[in-house]
Amino acid sequence: MRRAKALLERGRNVALLAVLAVLACAAAPVGAVELKVATIAPDGSHWMQRMRAAADTVAERTSGRVTIKFYPGGVMGNDAQVLRKIRVGQLQGGAFTAGGLASRYGGLNLYGIPLLFRSLDEVDYVRRELDEELLARLEDAGFVGFGFVEGGFANLLSSEPIATVEDLRRKKVWVPDGDEISFLAMQTLGLSPVVLPVTDVLTGLQTGLLDVSFASPVAALVLQWHTRVKYITELPVSYSMGIFALEANAFRRLSSEDQAILREVITDAVTELDRAARADNARAREVLLSSGVQPVHVNAADVEEWRATIEGLYPQLRSRPDVDGPLFDRLLELLAQYRASGESGSH
Amino acid sequence: MCLVLLAGCARLAGSIAADTLSAAILDQDDPELVASGVPAYLLLVDGLIARNGDDPALLAAGAQLFALYGSRFAETPERAVALTAKARRYGARALCLAHEPACDWDGLDYDAFVQALQDVGRKDIDALFAYAVGWLAHLDATSEDWTAVAELPWVQAALERVLELDESYREGTVHGYLGTLYALRPPALGGRPEEAQRHFERAIELSHGRDLSLKVEYARRYARLVFDQELHDRLLNEVLNAAVEAPGLTLFNVLAKQEARGLLATSKEYF
Repeated sequence: MRRAKALLERGRNVALLAVLAVLACAAAPVGAVELKVATIAPDGSHWMQRMRAAADTVAERTSGRVTIKFYPGGVMGNDAQVLRKIRVGQLQGGAFTAGGLASRYGGLNLYGIPLLFRSLDEVDYVRRELDEELLARLEDAGFVGFGFVEGGFANLLSSEPIATVEDLRRKKVWVPDGDEISFLAMQTLGLSPVVLPVTDVLTGLQTGLLDVSFASPVAALVLQWHTRVKYITELPVSYSMGIFALEANAFRRLSSEDQAILREVITDAVTELDRAARADNARAREVLLSSGVQPVHVNAADVEEWRATIEGLYPQLRSRPDVDGPLFDRLLELLAQYRASGESGSH
Repeated sequence: MCLVLLAGCARLAGSIAADTLSAAILDQDDPELVASGVPAYLLLVDGLIARNGDDPALLAAGAQLFALYGSRFAETPERAVALTAKARRYGARALCLAHEPACDWDGLDYDAFVQALQDVGRKDIDALFAYAVGWLAHLDATSEDWTAVAELPWVQAALERVLELDESYREGTVHGYLGTLYALRPPALGGRPEEAQRHFERAIELSHGRDLSLKVEYARRYARLVFDQELHDRLLNEVLNAAVEAPGLTLFNVLAKQEARGLLATSKEYF
């Protein structure tokens, strides 16, 4: 009787152990991979909510073989610092600005060339044709990207109205730290750019170190620049994007089945965020205007002059090591096609 | 009984009635009772305000009650928006009655607004606080919209002015709000975690550690933002080990304990 009871208890213990083992497996299957990913998006933001949901789906569909751990709020530093941490294996990926990854693949600088696009329709046309190619070449360069998220067009923001190049020439115009192409473009336009990190712009506008900055409506509100500027110039200065990317070797260590799941799920999330971004900027623009920021229309002849000046810079840009020259040519061809079809009224 | 009593008192001492009401709620240790009971109080406050619409103290108390209920107990996001919109209206009216220039503050640009705040004096601090808290609760309830993001600097400026007038107002509550606001954005997007930390530390000091929700917010907002797990877990364990009873804080402390448990449970996963 006692032996029977002892056996029973041992049996119970064995059962308990088995259950624990199963639970342990569920938590971390043998060979499970945790991908560590950094982003400046704050925890709780829409972006993080969507990406965490995608990570949950990945974990579920890979039965816990692949989990993603996020480091939100820029706690791992800026794009360059995140890239360094990826190089030493401390991180496996991140959400970057497209320009932030351009040091790895120069094609990512193309869409952000100042005054390149005239409308979001042009952007859509070019992106439909070139996004996939950008991602393929980025992958050759060692990063697996899961699509781009629109940051939108930046507009000039200023404390006095800017309607002509002359208005701009007398001003101290911000250029982001590390953005050599914008710096070059401004110099070519005869402006005096002031190089500052984005985080110093608010103070710069407040103290008079800067007169003019530029940002998308969403960025302007988040960075609270609307408290320091009075005018927004209705001219798409440059187009910005974000990209979610993983270091290619880390990605390739996953089974091909898990790679496919990751691609599908993350791409879905990124595509959704990309679509939402446009409505976000449209709404943010309305709010910006209703908060008292006045729209300024730029003189059309002037814009053509600005564009012509910057186009004169293209050969120099094309030969830079951080610009994919051949893809730049294709982009310009696509734009020419689009504009020609627009002029003949056929698109 | 209560209703009759308060209605009778209202004409003489509407603000005292509202304060008593607030105390009865804030000293409560049963959030579910508050959730189910407060709507009746809100109706009562609405009634008092309808009859004494020119009493800034009553309006200020109303703004805070609606802000509290709307942001912590509303059953749906839509209800939260409606209730906090009322909080905001009452707060704005309270300040307009106490400090006439504030009646025309709508649409002021940021610099002009900050300048105008300088004319609000110490005697109007209750109305200014109610104005800021009602507005903040409404922004929180509507945070999906960009207007909320756009208006935050204005609310922050109003709270900074309250702090300037009396740093220890409501035992550090204002420092707590500012700590949260400074930690909303990461440094890369203009946030200032070091300022957030300073405000939270000071808030806890001024409340003598009795306001547990300050520690929860310090952990949730600051420690998570800067990825300081040690601080996060320490703060939350302190909350779990502390007594909830404190005059005017019991309700929030009970809620704080609930939240501390939730945050601790996800600590390992987050960090």
